[in-house]
This record gives sequence, C-alpha cells and structure tokens, in this order.
Amino acid sequence: MPGKHLSRWTLAWFGSALLFLLAACGLALLGAAGPQDWSRGAGLAVVHLFTLGWLCHVMLGALIQFVPVLAARPLALPMLALPALIAASAGTVDLALGFLFLDGHDALRPLFLIAPFATGLGFTLVALMVAATLLTHATLRLAEVRLVLLALFALAGLWLSGTLMVLTLSGTAMVLDLAVTRPLHILLGVGGWLSLAAFGVSYKLFAMFLLAPEKISRLRDAIFLTAMLGVTILLTALLLLLTERSTAWAMGVTLGLIPVIALLYLSEITRIWQSRRRAAPEGNMLWSRVALAFLGLAVLLALPGWFIGGVWAEAAIFLALVGWLSTLTLAQMVKIVSFLTWIQIFAPRIGRRPVPLVQKLSNAQAVAFCLALWSAGAVTGCVALLLASSAGFRLAVALLTLAALGLVRELIAIRHLSHLAAQERPATLPHLILPLTQPLQPVEFRS
Amino acid sequence: MTEPVPDIHQALRGVLDPETGRDLIAMGLIYETRFETGTAHVRMTTTTRGCPLTEMLRLGVEAALLAVPGIAAAEVTLTWEPLWTPDRMEPLPM
Repeated sequence: MPGKHLSRWTLAWFGSALLFLLAACGLALLGAAGPQDWSRGAGLAVVHLFTLGWLCHVMLGALIQFVPVLAARPLALPMLALPALIAASAGTVDLALGFLFLDGHDALRPLFLIAPFATGLGFTLVALMVAATLLTHATLRLAEVRLVLLALFALAGLWLSGTLMVLTLSGTAMVLDLAVTRPLHILLGVGGWLSLAAFGVSYKLFAMFLLAPEKISRLRDAIFLTAMLGVTILLTALLLLLTERSTAWAMGVTLGLIPVIALLYLSEITRIWQSRRRAAPEGNMLWSRVALAFLGLAVLLALPGWFIGGVWAEAAIFLALVGWLSTLTLAQMVKIVSFLTWIQIFAPRIGRRPVPLVQKLSNAQAVAFCLALWSAGAVTGCVALLLASSAGFRLAVALLTLAALGLVRELIAIRHLSHLAAQERPATLPHLILPLTQPLQPVEFRS
Repeated sequence: MTEPVPDIHQALRGVLDPETGRDLIAMGLIYETRFETGTAHVRMTTTTRGCPLTEMLRLGVEAALLAVPGIAAAEVTLTWEPLWTPDRMEPLPM
C-alpha cells in the first residue's frame, strides 16, 4: 500500500513540540529562568518545557516516523501514536505547572504528582511502537538500531529518576539526595536518551541526505558498546541510590566515557561526510555540522563542569540542549516537514506530471538566517551563563525566540506550499498538523 | 510491418528523484528493462530499503511506462538485491 511507511501523526508531534519550545522561550524571556537560577519552580518549569516539551516530543515524533526507515518495515501499533501524544503533552503541562508548587502554589501539588504517570504512559506507548517495529532478527544486527533501543532504556531511567525526584520534592515519599540524583537524571536525559537516539537516527539520515554509502562500521559497534556501558552504569547507579549507596564512581566513569563516545561518533560522521556523492549538501546538512561543533564544545565544557561545577556545568548542559540537540533537530525538521509535505501532495503525480523538487518547498535563505540566529543565541547563552550575566542570558533567549518564530513561520509556509507558484499548488492545501493523509489518490491541481 | 520497440529508457528518464532532480536511470535505480509482447518489464530499487517513497516510485514508473505508445502493460518489480550504493549513479555532467 502506498504510504504504508508514513506515520500519520508526526506533524502533530512536531506542532506540539514547537508550541512547548515557544512557551519555554517566552517564559524565559519574561524572566522565569536565568543563570544560577535553576532550582526555583519557575526555572524548572522552563527547563522541562524545553527538554520534555520540545526536545522529547520532537524526538518521539521523529522516531515513530523514522523507525520504519531504519527497520524497512511499517510502523507497528500505529494507533498508539495519538494517545501517546496526548499523554505526553498532558504530562508536560502538568509537570511545568506542578513545578510552581515549589514556589508556594500549593494548589498545584496534585498536578505535580500526576505528571510522571501521564509522561510515563506517553513514553511507554511510543517505546512499544518503536520496539515492536525494530525488534527483528534482521534489524538487531545494525548498530544504529541497537543505539535507538539503548536510548529507550535511558529514557526509562530518565523517567524513573524524574519520578523519584517528584516524589521527593513533593514530600510524598522517597527522600533522595537531590544533589546526587540531579546529575544522574541530566546524564540519562541529555547523554543517554536524547543524544543516543539522535546518533542512531543521524547515521541513516546523514547517509541518505548526503548520498553516502551505508557501510557496516566497526566504529558504530564501538560507539554502541561504549554507550551501553555508560547507560548500564547510570541505571545501576540509579538503583544504588535507592539503597543509599555511593554513586560518585558511576558519575566519574560515565563522564569519562562521554568524550570517547563523542569522538567516535564525530569520526564516523566525518567519514560519511567525506564519502558523500552529493556535491552540494543542502542547508539541513550544512547546519547539522554546526550542531556537531556544538556537541564537541559541550563535551569540552563538561570536563570543567564536572570538576568545578557551577557555571561550567550550566554552560555545558545549555550548549548540549540548545546548541547540539536543538540545532540538529531544527535543521532536520525543515527537511522532514518538506519531505512529508511533498509525499502527501506530489508523490501521486510521479511519472504522470512534472513535480517540483523537495527543496523548492522551503526558502533556503530564510531557513539559514533563522538557524544562524539560533546558533548565535546558543553561543550568547553559553557565554552569558559562564559570566553569570542575566542581561546576556535574556539577550540569548531573545535571539532564540526570534529564530524559533522565524522557523515556525517557515514551517507553516512549507505546509501551505507558499514558495511554489500558484499553478503548482493543489486546490486544497493539507492541514497544518493533523494527520498526514495516505497519498493514495492523485490530488486535484489548478489547471 | 513490425511495430517499433517502445523506448522504455526514455520513459524512465522522465521520472525524477525529487531529492536530487536526477532521473531514475541516472540515479542507478533501474536494474533491468525488457519489452515482451506488449508488456514492459522493469526491475528497480530505491536508495534505501525503508524509503517512504518506495511504492509511490514503483507506481510512478508504471504510469510513465503506460503512457508510452506501444506499451499495453507494465510490470514493475522492486528489489534490494543487490543493495543500491552511490557508485551506481551516473557521473554528474561536467
């Protein structure tokens, strides 16, 4: 059946993620978060709107669209995508509002306690879809598939550590040492779940977009084994925390593994880049290189971040979330939305009528400007955090907000086919974020 | 008088890869073409096995072939044996 490899709810996941991104930027701009101010309820609400609302949503949405490509088979249990989105979105809103309980809004405590269950339900449903699609004898031999599955284990650890922290912060049960649990939670989220999922997906995406040969790589196996060691140590440390044993060794070993994993990953991406057949890579790939540079910088900052802590740790985490993961995601999102829109509208015309190129659906210059603005915001924010400058951080957030608004505008233009000539557009435009229709029938076009 | 054999290759040159703008032959996606008793047979692949465009490309090739005068039926089969690699692409024109 045509379109059987498409997940229908991807754009809804992306739309939800972008709303959370704008909410996080807007609240930070209003002063809800700033340097050395991350333990207040409002600051934690902004952080989780960004990490859980923006980055987790976009990663979950991208995974359910992309695992069929990785596994070369249709998505399993596709009917779970919408309930998962509703649960994850509700959980994110609950958590963000619930954090305000820490600032003295006692009435919000129930929301704080409900949030882990809603997010847990959303995560579980997506994990079921992804695992049921990827778990075959043929796919498990691919290191990129195993990396995505490993990322799901880290997601489980992220959720468990977060839930235990919510129970502790709300005074319900489980008195954990939050100073010890927090770095574990961050490493499981940023290093384990988000980065490993991004690694797994990027191997395939980069090779596809660059027309590079897909080779079985020992480097990739080495990354998987090192990452598996790191995630296993973090999960073991989480269990040890429950028995009140020391976990300092686990953090030390994991932080030692991170530069090794990053170096191996960057080496392989360099190989893919050098073996490409695409003479002029598109903007999504050029800006992915900037994201990769941010990854390297974040890893460098993580070392003083571990030994000195304070502003160094803040800057390293900021650069990983805003520079590495968000720049990569935003650059690829423009391409993915263009591609999905193209499939929805133009695929039925292949071989029958002329079709525009996918890249004609977006304005490369506008996208590049927005991504440059985003990257400038990431650098400015990092420097502002190192200098503990509230004004500098506000400037950075302003740049990030402008960039995000510009990209949202461009994504809407792509969905509305605004960059195409009138005669190239169908009489009826696709819905902005509601389900991608299966492109079974040729769409009516203006004559 | 014998009917001329339809130009299958010319039909396939009209089907473009929407990413690169190059036709399917230039992309090295066509493995085999045959014409027998009014039916065009094409064996083709895609750049990656899980490509969401796979079935739509196959249907597109079928439609392009059926538009050629002299072709009464088209049989387009997909294969990933051998797997496509960028080495199969025709060199870019200088």
